[in-house]
Formats: sequence, C-alpha cells, structure tokens
Amino acid sequence: MNKDAPARTVEHVTCLGCGCACDDIAVTVRNTRIVGTRNACPLGRDWFGDGQLPSRVIAHGSDASVEQAIGNAASTLLGARRALVYLAGDLSCETQGVGVGIADQLHASLDTLTTATARSGILAAQRRGRATATLGEVRNRADTLLFWGVDPARRYPRYTTRYAPDVEGLFVPDGRSGRLVIGVDVGESAAPADVNERVRFSDGEEVAALTLMRAAALGRPTEGTSPDDLATRALGLARRLMAARYAVIVHDGESSSTSAHASVRAEALVTLAQALNRGTRCALSTLRGGNNRSGADAVLTWQTGYPLAVDFARGVPRYRPAEGAGALLESGAIDVALVLGAAATIPPAVASMLAHVTTIIIGPRASESGFAPDVAIDTGVAGIHEGGIAMRMDEVPLPLRPSLAGATDALRVVTALAQRLHIRASEHAA
Amino acid sequence: MTTGDRLRITGGTVYDPANGIDGDERDICIENGRIVATLPSDAPRLEARGMVVMPGGIDMHTHVAATSVNQARRLLPEEHTADAVRAPTLDDGQSSAHSGARSGTGGTVPSTFSTGYRYAGLGYTTVFEAAVAPLGARETHAELDDTPIVDAGCYILMGNNDYLFRQIAAGETGRARDYAAWLLRAAQGYAIKIVNPGGVALWKRGVREVGGLDAPVGDPRVTPRAILETLTTVANELRLPHPVHIHCNQLGQPGNVTTTLESMRTVDGQRAHFTHLQFHSYSGERGGKWSSAAREVVEYLNGHPELSGDVGQVMLGPATTVTADAAVEYLLYASTGRKWVNVDVELETGCGVVPYEYRDKAAVSALQWVIGLELFLLSEDPWRMVLSTDHPNGGSFLAYPRLIQLLMDRGARDEQLKRVNQSLLAGSALADGLSREYTLGEIAIITRAGPARLLGLTTKGHLGPGADADVTIYAHDADLAAMFATPRYVIKGGVLVVEEGQLRRAPAGQRIAVQPEYDRAVERDLRRYFDRYSTVSFDNYPVSAPLDTGVGEA
Repeated sequence: MNKDAPARTVEHVTCLGCGCACDDIAVTVRNTRIVGTRNACPLGRDWFGDGQLPSRVIAHGSDASVEQAIGNAASTLLGARRALVYLAGDLSCETQGVGVGIADQLHASLDTLTTATARSGILAAQRRGRATATLGEVRNRADTLLFWGVDPARRYPRYTTRYAPDVEGLFVPDGRSGRLVIGVDVGESAAPADVNERVRFSDGEEVAALTLMRAAALGRPTEGTSPDDLATRALGLARRLMAARYAVIVHDGESSSTSAHASVRAEALVTLAQALNRGTRCALSTLRGGNNRSGADAVLTWQTGYPLAVDFARGVPRYRPAEGAGALLESGAIDVALVLGAAATIPPAVASMLAHVTTIIIGPRASESGFAPDVAIDTGVAGIHEGGIAMRMDEVPLPLRPSLAGATDALRVVTALAQRLHIRASEHAA
Repeated sequence: MTTGDRLRITGGTVYDPANGIDGDERDICIENGRIVATLPSDAPRLEARGMVVMPGGIDMHTHVAATSVNQARRLLPEEHTADAVRAPTLDDGQSSAHSGARSGTGGTVPSTFSTGYRYAGLGYTTVFEAAVAPLGARETHAELDDTPIVDAGCYILMGNNDYLFRQIAAGETGRARDYAAWLLRAAQGYAIKIVNPGGVALWKRGVREVGGLDAPVGDPRVTPRAILETLTTVANELRLPHPVHIHCNQLGQPGNVTTTLESMRTVDGQRAHFTHLQFHSYSGERGGKWSSAAREVVEYLNGHPELSGDVGQVMLGPATTVTADAAVEYLLYASTGRKWVNVDVELETGCGVVPYEYRDKAAVSALQWVIGLELFLLSEDPWRMVLSTDHPNGGSFLAYPRLIQLLMDRGARDEQLKRVNQSLLAGSALADGLSREYTLGEIAIITRAGPARLLGLTTKGHLGPGADADVTIYAHDADLAAMFATPRYVIKGGVLVVEEGQLRRAPAGQRIAVQPEYDRAVERDLRRYFDRYSTVSFDNYPVSAPLDTGVGEA
C-alpha cells in the first residue's frame, strides 16, 4: 500500500485506556496504522498505540486456521473436568455477553478483572447500596469535591479536566474557582497537589475518621481536644461536606486489596456518602480502571444477577465473589481455562497460575501471551478495531468507534465458538 | 410439535374483546406469524376444545431493562441466591437468536433471560420498560437483546430534563416538541414518560419535594404544571401512538390525591395516561391517618374518556422499589433503614432503589393493597384501567395470576381481606363490600386489549386477521391463580413457545419504537448544548442515528 496514502481522522472515538472512557478522541490513521490522536492523555495514547497487532492463530503449537482453532478449542472445553471462563479486558459488552453464555453452557466458573481489584467496593455496595452520580453530575453540581487518598492524575488523567474540578458545570459556572477542593492524604496515598485544603490521616486512622465523619453527618459530632486530634480533623472535614450544596467524594475503586481493611474502608465510604444526604446532597464517585471492565460487571449482572465471580457448575449461576479466578486456579480445581480478551490486562496473580492449566485464549495479542496457551486466536481490540458498547466507570454506556479495519473480530470468533460448543453438545446429547 | 408456518387452533373458547368476541367457540388460524381468516383444511391443528384462548398478554408498565433495573439487580444477591433458575430445555432449531437456553436468577428483579422466559411462561408476549434515562438507553436495548421471546418497547424519561426546562423557560414550545421527537428517536423509545415532574431535578438541588404544581423548579416559568402541559401537548402534537405516560408528584404520600386530581385537570381534554394510580390515590395527611381516595380518582377518570390509567397494584409480599423518582426513594430509605441506591443522572433524571416488603400486618401496606383493588373494582371502563403491579415496585409480575384471581373471585379476595391489618380500612369501599367479580372477557381487556388500545398497537391485543400471532391458551382450573400461572400453550409470532405448560422455544423478540418527525434545526442548538454541558459527545449520544445524519454507531 502507498506509504503516502492520505491520512483520515475518526472523530468522537471512545478511549478505554481508563474508566474515564473519554469519548472526544480523534484518531488519525494512515494506511493501517494509527499515526496520531487528539485529546488523548498519555494513558490513552498508550492504549491506542499504533493499532498494529499480530494476527496469528495457533493450535497445539502450530499455525492453524480460525476454523481449526475453534474446533480444537471446542473439543478441549467439552472435555474439561471443570472449566474457567475468564473475561479479560478490551472486549465489547456484546462479546462479554457471549462469553458469559459459554460459561453457562459449559457449567464453568466465570470471573472478570473486577474481582481481583475492585471487589471490596462492589460487595460493600451490595450490603449497603450507594449514593452516586454519573460523571456529568459531578461536573455540573459538585461545589465541594473531596479526594479521599487518591490523585486521579496517575491512573485517571483526564478526570480532573473533563469531569471535576477544573471544568465549568451547569451549577458551577466558574469551574475550578467555584469549587472547594479538599485533599485527604491517607498514609502513602496522596490527594492531588491542587487543593484548597489538605488533611492527613494515617492508614490506621482512616476508618475511624470515616466513621466519625458519618456520625457527624447523622447529627452526632465528636469534638477533639486538640487541633491535631483525629476527631478534630474528621469533624472539620465532615462540616465542610455538610456545608456543601452538592458534595462529591472521589475514591479509587481499583485500589482495594482483599484485606479486611479494604472491605471496612469501602463500607465506611459508602455509608458516609449516604449519611451526608440527610442534610445536603452527596455522591460517591468511584474511580474504576479501563478496558471495559465496568462493562463486564454490568453484563454479568443483567445475565446472571451478580456482578462478580459466578460458578455455573450446577447449571445455575451461583455467586462466588470470594472465589475468583486466582483462588480457583490455585486450588487446582480448574483444568481448562478459556481466556477472552487482552492477556496484558490479566492481573499477575491470575496470569501466573494460567501457565499451570490448559489454556485457550481469544483476544488481542493472544499469540504473545506468556502462559503457553493450547489455542491462541489473535483478534482486534474493542474500540480500536471493533465496535460495540462499553461502559464508563459510572456505568454510562458508550458506543465504540473502530478506527482500523482488518483485524480478526473477537465477537465473531467468540460467537462462532459458542455456536460450535452448542452444536457439539447437542450432538453429544442426541 | 411445532407450528411450521400454519396452525389452526380449533374449538377453543375465545376471548377477543377488541373484536367483540366474548367466550365464543371458534377457530383461530395462523399463517407466517400472523392471524389469518382461514386456512386450508389440511393445515396442522392444535386442539383447544374446552380451553380459554386469548391474545398474548401485554404489560404496558414494567421495569425489566434499564440502567436503574441493573442497579437493583446488583443490590439483590440474597434474592438471586434463593431463586436460581435453570436453563429451560428448549426444542432446538427454533431458537434462532441465541446459541442456547440460558440459566439465570429470579427474585423480584430477575436476570434478563429469566425475565423473558418467565413472562412468556405466564402468557405475556409484549412488555414495555417504563422508565429509561436516555443517557442509558443503549444499555436498555442491550438488555432487551438478552430478554428472549417478548416484544418490547420503552418509555423515555423527560420530566426532569434540563434542556427541556430551558425550552419551557424560553416559551419555545416548538423546540420542546422537536427535542422530544429527537430524543425518542435517539433513544429508540416508544413514548414520553414523566416521573415526578420537576421533583427529581429539585432533589438533585437538595430540595426534597415539589411545593405544588405551580412551584418553580429553578426558573419561575418551569413548574410541574408547565412540564405536564408541555409534554402532554407535545405527545399529542407528535401524534404518538401512546400519549404522555405520567407518574405524578408526591408518590406514596398521604393526601396526594389532591395533586393527582389537579394533574389530571391540568391536562384536561387531552389524551394522557396516568400510571400506577394506586400509589397516587391517598387521602389523609402526613403524621395523620391515611385513607383511600380510590373512589375520587376513579370518578374523575370515568368522566374523562381521554384519560387512562394503570393500577400499580401492591401485592402483599416482597418487592423492590426502583424508580427515577429518586426523591421518594430517599424518604423510603430514611424511614426503613434498608439499603439504598441513588444515582443522579446528568442533565436528565435520577434513579433510586430500595428493597421493600409489603406486609399484610402493616397498616399502610394493607391500605395500599385495598386501594389498588378498589381502583379495579370501581372503574367503569376496563379499557382505561389496566392491570399492572408496576413490577417490581408493587410486586413481581409473577403475582399477576394471583391478582387476576383476586379480581375474579370475591371469596378469595374477602378471605385475604380478613387477614390484613384493618386499622386504616374503615370506610373504604372494599371493606364495605364490593361484590364485583371480573369476567374472563374483562380480564382479557385489562391484560391485552386495553393496553394494546392505549398503546396504539394495531396488531397486538386482538386475534383478528392481520394481528401478530401472539396467543395464550389456558386450561380451565377452579384455582384461577393456577390457571393463569401456567398456560397450556403460548404462541409468539406464530412460534409455539409454551407447549403442555413447558417452555419449548425462545425466539428473539422484536423492538417496538416510534420515529416522529422534527425540525432538524434543533440539532444545531443541541450540539452547542452538548458541547457545553454534557460529558457524552452529541454524536455518541443516540443509540442510533435520529434522522439520516450519519451519526450513531460506527
């Protein structure tokens, strides 16, 4: 192809580099390569890259056709003692849905990226509910914005300029100068540099501080005895939030480990935001990572009723949030894993265990995955090579606009595998 | 047995009120998914002698596919764990849309596949999702793609929409109409929905409730009354098949009948549908005694043939309240202490979820149960007072058979009435004794023919030639709840989906949407507005291109 082919630009592209899912990206393409982006942050530019991907299909160590590879994958999966279907990143909601269907049909276990990194917050919200808002309401209404132990700059670079506090909003026409921005540093987790006020808590003080704040919001303030007292700092923060017209507390939903502390903190944040609605309005804005992981939560929820790891072994979805892919693989219960999506997005603890079982992977750069898959089918990336739907971190569904053509379509391959499994299973039953 | 392209249902007792057929024995002929007048004598037959034949059920107000519904699903792992649903054993080859039957979960907010199977299992073949935030419409359609069998449409929330308010404030009624039309297309919706007009926008500003139909919502010209008037007029001017679908202010508050009747007077003379009226028919005052105002509401409706309603019956038992009326959900959370979800949706609406249980020993629950039944039993025109539980708000759609039994069998009704808390029932019409029992023909109206007429669906809700071949066949049973819970056969679009009481096929349903015309000039203004206030690009907002703009899905 002519190297000097004219460049073309695709506008309004949704980026899945993080959960901000900015949909104002312009992607410039020449020939089959992305040569530039407009509006993308460094994370976004990395995520788009140049759009070049391997397009190999490997079955049992040799190059194969897609058809052959699907046949091999189907045989392996139907012969599994207990299969795991793992939804990794960079799939559209449509492909995720077909993946859940495969797990259902195979009576397999199913897990997604969310269990490893964001489980605490989701479980807390299942216990207590949550008071939240879409990111546009954060932008349009937040006159007081509190960053709780997180600086979005690193992992959610455009949060502050696209949503809040930097940009103007319907009820905050002055933008940044119309908002009170409070940074709470928690242990080593620092809030942004540009804040109007800053408060510090140690890791050990964190949950106690949130609880004191909640008590204050419920009309039971505790006065400290000195300015440095935990109670004094907590009460000062609570009063700031209670004086807001619309307060937003921003925290990192992806930072939660599986520790008991993470669980208690998540619940303390949820209940604090709820309690603040007693006297004013408050929303908790939970930062989530990219690659359409929030889409997996939503699809899994509407198809099974549950947002996290599910086991179909008895022919019905059973909720197994404490038994994610890592734990299942570790236990030796799984003999075959079907990984859908980009291998690079899989948490290290899960990826390292995949080397010990028979693995089939369908997704971007499948052939380059480090765990020696039995079958690997390279596909395009949802949002770069494929269309469909993805969810922003606040579960607002957005369209994906592919800027490049030509890659193997993940939805088509995964659907073909599902149909093959269905036909094989029917033949077996007959 | 499969139907092939042709099927003659023979000898059934047919209830087809739209065509004046009330329990007559006759054959129903199906060809290529439609009802036809006749078939050759060698066409396959389905023996229905002694059975009751009706059009497929139509639920005109339910919550089954929306971002709000998914919030509710996520909140209910306890219910889902207690009601795991196996994949049905389908007869393959007919199930074209999906590569196989799917398992799921039930409870008051079932998973999508279970929702489709269970509605079809009750003989319902068409449902309308009643509250879709346009920002989340893309998810509604994705969920409906995973909801098999039933045809579906959705109502688009507009009663707290910032852009609409700007047009009302500016007196731009033409632009309000163009915007509503654009929005219906952008969200692939079927009707305009108003929820607590102005009240959700106020809740997002920290104001807990509207101060009355004439209290300003921000701009002094924007009031609940102006919102009602504007959107009622818009729906009529656009000649939408279903008029504006109104959830009034003050849902669930004692004394709200005043607001309900005033809202009805506001739209006087124009077509409008008032939904889940049970929740809006209370006398009394806060802190004082509640009582039934069903009679006043029914009397008003009886005298205004341009208006219609659905009941929103409360069924005693578990429910999940899920609504765009986020202000009400805060009150419910504050009073019950149950878990609570609130999602403020930018520029458009809100969302609230609180799990709930209507207990027969609770005075207000008992009163709500009674008021719903009074609305049914006092209404003179079943065509304009149709059946709903506002699923899952008043109870699951799975309770419809029991509700039908309560309407048809005074004995069953009185039996339950004796067991509920009596403290607020003094003087209520039901407690005084309402002897009316619905006939099968009337049931066919409130669950089929009536909703079809109110929705302007010409090929549904009846069994005349040209109608969609959506047919439900019940075997008589002295236990009416059992009869309506397990139809013997259900045919959807000519496909036999339920056979001998078993779900056998699960074809994909169709989507029902409107495509009103509008002046394209509104798009230029909207683009400016989106650029300034929205976090979603104007070009990415529509589920599909509103007019031939080349925008939408790439």
